[in-house]
Amino acid sequence: MSSQFRDILGALIRHRGVKGCMVVGEGDGLIVDSTLQIGVNGTTFAALTASLFRKARRAAEAAGFGDAVFLELEAEQGRVCAVGKSGLVLVIVAESRVNVGLVRVEMLKATAGL
Amino acid sequence: MQLQVAADWVEAPLKAFVDEARAEVAVLMHPSGQVLGQFGFVRSVDVVTACALAAAIHASSGELGRLVEGKPFAGMHYAGPTKQIFLAPVEIADGTLLLLTVFDEESSLGLVQLFFKEFAARVAKVAPEFKSAEAALAVDFEGELNKNLALMFGRG
Repeated sequence: MSSQFRDILGALIRHRGVKGCMVVGEGDGLIVDSTLQIGVNGTTFAALTASLFRKARRAAEAAGFGDAVFLELEAEQGRVCAVGKSGLVLVIVAESRVNVGLVRVEMLKATAGL
Repeated sequence: MQLQVAADWVEAPLKAFVDEARAEVAVLMHPSGQVLGQFGFVRSVDVVTACALAAAIHASSGELGRLVEGKPFAGMHYAGPTKQIFLAPVEIADGTLLLLTVFDEESSLGLVQLFFKEFAARVAKVAPEFKSAEAALAVDFEGELNKNLALMFGRG
């Protein structure tokens, strides 16, 4: 079944190093739509990343910085990036070699479609 | 808030679930409503009430699932204005147990479902040892219920 987010996800997954991208409900942590390579545990990833983004948003608000715009988590062997709007979180999981700058621009542009 | 268990094997899985899923309340019980362990309730009467209601919901939704899908539903989620509940069966070697979870905006359905899977796997590993030692559904239901409550809340 094709959703309204297919184009957004299709554009992001084509970036070199991106292993998966998904639109997740910020409140419930459930996947709305996703494009994942084999080996990415989407359900687990969605639940944890949505929780992380929710807490980052609250931390930004508590610090008086306004809304969280872009979240990047750098791990030993990869990166997780997230942007959110209208109760949805757009998330990508990528290898370390990914061009974060480019992906960031694409993700921020894509928030208009969320 | 203290974790209270009627059997030792319940403690580790239930504690891990409560910590990881950030649940406000978690109650593990037999489908009959007999409590095995709980976190979040202060009074034993609340545990008894919650178990009775959860057992009834499970029985009703199970039959509804059989009616419309030919098999019981795997779990049930209800979202209230501030609190949500998730009720799901935990399959063990000799039958089924139930886990009732109450959570708020500190957690999410995705997180609860995620850590429920891990909880169910842990319980499935340790429950058979318990089952062989003690009957899940005692003939003297009220006596067994009171015994478990006394173990958990320290009253006879």
